[in-house]
Amino acid sequence: MSRPSHSTKNKITLWWSRWLARRLPPSQTVTLAHKSIFILPTGFGLLWIGLCLLLFLLGTNYQNNLVIGLSFLLISLFNTCIIYSYKNLAGLTMSSIPPPQAYAGETLVFPIALSSRHVQYEVLLSYPNNQTNVINTIEKEPKTSLVSYKNQHRGRISPARIKVESRYPLGLCRTWSHIDLDNQMIVFAHPIESHSELSSLESDDITNPSDRGSHVPGVDEFKGLRQHIFGESLRQVAWKQLAQGRGMLSKEFQQPQGQPIWLTLDNLTAKDIEERISKLTWSVDRLSERGQIFGLAIGQHKITPSQGEQHRVHCLQTLALIPSRRTD
Amino acid sequence: MTTPNQQEIISRHSLMWLLIINISVLLPLYDKFTPWTMAICAICLVWRYGIFIGKVAKPPRLLVTILALASALTLALVTSQIGLLNGLMNLLILGYALKYIEMKDRRDVRIVVLVGYFLIAMTLIGQQSIYYSLLLTIIVAINTCVLVSLYREDVKINETAKIGFLLILQSLPLALLLFLVFPRLPPLWLMPQLKTDQTGISDEVSFGEIQRLTRSAALAFRVNFEGAPPANNKLYWRALVLEDYDGNKWTQNDSIKLLELKKQSVSQASSKGLSVNYTVIAEKSYQNWLFGLDVATSDTENIMQLPDYRLYSSKILTQKFQYKVKSYPSTLMDIELDHDIKKINLELPQNKNPQTLALAKSYLRQFPKPEDRLSAIMSSFSQQAYFYTLTPPSVGPNQIDDFLLENKAGFCVHYASALVFMARATGIPARMVTGYQGGEWNKNANYLSIYQYMAHAWTEVWLEGKGWVRLDPTAMIAPERVIEGFDAYFQGQDSYLLDSPFSALRLKDYPLLNELRLSLASIDYYWSVWVLGFDSNKQEQVLQKLMGKITREKLAVFMLSSLACIILLIAYSAGLLHFSRNKDKISSAYLRVCKLLDRKGVSRSLDQGPVDFCHTVESQLPSIAKEFSQLTQYYIALKYRTLTPNGRKSTTKLFIRLSRQIKLKLIKL
Repeated sequence: MSRPSHSTKNKITLWWSRWLARRLPPSQTVTLAHKSIFILPTGFGLLWIGLCLLLFLLGTNYQNNLVIGLSFLLISLFNTCIIYSYKNLAGLTMSSIPPPQAYAGETLVFPIALSSRHVQYEVLLSYPNNQTNVINTIEKEPKTSLVSYKNQHRGRISPARIKVESRYPLGLCRTWSHIDLDNQMIVFAHPIESHSELSSLESDDITNPSDRGSHVPGVDEFKGLRQHIFGESLRQVAWKQLAQGRGMLSKEFQQPQGQPIWLTLDNLTAKDIEERISKLTWSVDRLSERGQIFGLAIGQHKITPSQGEQHRVHCLQTLALIPSRRTD
Repeated sequence: MTTPNQQEIISRHSLMWLLIINISVLLPLYDKFTPWTMAICAICLVWRYGIFIGKVAKPPRLLVTILALASALTLALVTSQIGLLNGLMNLLILGYALKYIEMKDRRDVRIVVLVGYFLIAMTLIGQQSIYYSLLLTIIVAINTCVLVSLYREDVKINETAKIGFLLILQSLPLALLLFLVFPRLPPLWLMPQLKTDQTGISDEVSFGEIQRLTRSAALAFRVNFEGAPPANNKLYWRALVLEDYDGNKWTQNDSIKLLELKKQSVSQASSKGLSVNYTVIAEKSYQNWLFGLDVATSDTENIMQLPDYRLYSSKILTQKFQYKVKSYPSTLMDIELDHDIKKINLELPQNKNPQTLALAKSYLRQFPKPEDRLSAIMSSFSQQAYFYTLTPPSVGPNQIDDFLLENKAGFCVHYASALVFMARATGIPARMVTGYQGGEWNKNANYLSIYQYMAHAWTEVWLEGKGWVRLDPTAMIAPERVIEGFDAYFQGQDSYLLDSPFSALRLKDYPLLNELRLSLASIDYYWSVWVLGFDSNKQEQVLQKLMGKITREKLAVFMLSSLACIILLIAYSAGLLHFSRNKDKISSAYLRVCKLLDRKGVSRSLDQGPVDFCHTVESQLPSIAKEFSQLTQYYIALKYRTLTPNGRKSTTKLFIRLSRQIKLKLIKL
């Protein structure tokens, strides 16, 4: 008996999500309007209607017009509340902001900018089964709310539709919407500490292994520009940039030390591919932290050795997007 | 999962409102409290205040449970004394108070608010005056503010109050509409009633009885006549007929009481002649008798007509009661008198008042015809030294003897008793009638107010061929009381309104204040008629006035269109609808001129400023060159120059006027 009901429930959720997708397509910026706002009475609202009925009966039985009038006033108040509830979400503009980096297993944080033409109160934001954010007031000035999303997986993560909810002003009606803010992000794999993989490479080289592939400040290679520090040698000042009006900048030079490191998936001892990806993730962070130059080779795909934040992110994203074997 | 959590915590702001609401919901119920209930409510309030200022913690669960059990038990014990409804009310109040101290989260607050609304409704069952209703509407709004405060943290109290009151204000039109059109149903089942002292005249009268009422300035009932009201000396409002006299007090006869209990109505088929039509709004008296003139008939529901031509409500008047009456002053009452009734109305107490009996015998010898005899007795009251006083000397066991032959001073009950006694002693069936006499005319709203102090007693005697005839011996001693009204006669007397030292009726001596009193009274009257007395008949009347003949379709259209209007109105006042209009009327006026010029063949290219364009216009349309260059100057001044507020105003005026002239000219071209 439970199986069919389960499947019908699934069907309904499927139908519901499809209908939502058609009605409210994903978009980075969404302004709520009548098309995207749903209103239903809350449990308290139903109790309220019950009270109104009770008062009407009481007034009728006592033939007391004032009690009947009170029940009408409360029903009318309910009606007014529907309009106010609608107003409390209508015109709310939500836009997704690129989320910060995160690793699998961490709670993700999706920043969402909120603004509205008129003031709105007590708006709740949440992803399904996640903690709810309460925003006390939303005004014209955009306000950023960090909505959390628990996540265990690596790769391209697209959180479900975010739920915007409000019970203002009297808690009689729940006004809500499910919005897809099109805010996917690539979640890096969960890093697992692994010295073996680094040391296995290091064993090839006899010279100071920790400096392999790293750059030391020097004179050979132009590294980049940085803010001029007062008191520094004037020889390093980038005069051309100064003339362009970009301010006092210093040229930095460096020289590579030894051969760059190549990180590969096959080198690792761990059997499970997930574990290997996790270990590589840790290694990428470790090497970047040290400022070493390294490359990444996954099968045919190769990332040429480099260093810096951009390189790190590129490597981590590539690792995160390796298709896992067990899925599909 | 959602944690139970930030969203459910009661903010300090709400706690503040909860303190306010507790006091404002419970205070209007002051007269329903038992002392025990009051004590518990006070403890709860003080405890809450302690929590608010942070001096005490939440009460332990055990304490709350014990308090609840104890109060329920006590209530169960006292309910038989205070009546079921009062008991239930106290139970509800206690529940409210106890829930109030053990509130933890917003859910509890919501429940407290809902019970608060219910308590307000309970207050309305007992109190229905317009001022009370206004006060309770404000309390409803305060109750609503508590809910608002749950969703508005960290704001000032007056901001929450503004929203709460605005919500109520915006909800009033729809409530009014529902009040107008929603069908009224008859009571569905019997409800327990408030146990309260009866007011007004009682069904037994002794020598001290009416005197009590002359001290009260409370309203007894109000009457609205169709057409002109009868003269004051015709206004004998019959409420009770007392036929049994035991030498001490007058009571109703059991046969009539039985009919009242059986709720049997008698139709007065023989009523004929001119009728006086009027509507009576009786104040709550917690009694059944109603008031009518002469032979009174009524087809209002729940009203019985009794064989002694009185009206009687089958239900106790626990609130204001409105009924329509048709009275037939010229119809004779009981041309044929039933033998049993005759016997009842001739009976005298054994061995009492021998002197009066002897006096009666002498009258019987002197005047054999009943009419002559009665008029002789009546005139004896005016010829001998009888006094009308509200503070009569006391009487012994032979009441009538003492009054009639010794004291010779008394008020209506004394004179009526003496007359009935004399009449019965000489073989004429007679009975005592009590009710009210006269009334105060309110010319602002055209109705008559009858106050408790207008309570009166008179007699009815039965004569061959005439039936029951009203005789008022008081009119012989103090004719002004009957002709001009009670106030004219008694104003100076000590016991007049003795119990109502602050009654507004005392303002009668000051014309301006009296006018104010009458105006306030008429507001209260309209309130009783149109709000408290709004029933299905009135509903039909109003709807018919609004839309002619009522059909279901018309009603539906009326409902829907007014609903739509109200919703739009609320949406607009809530700031949801924006009628976007170009606010810059200067630009739009200039652009409209440009558009017209374009139609006439002078188009403005995108890169042309106003001055440049002005040159183009001057060359191509010389007929309006002068005006247009002036317009351009104004336009530039308004747009790009800083002007004083007054200068801006006058220039704008000139600019708009000129643009209109140019447009006219262009159209004519």
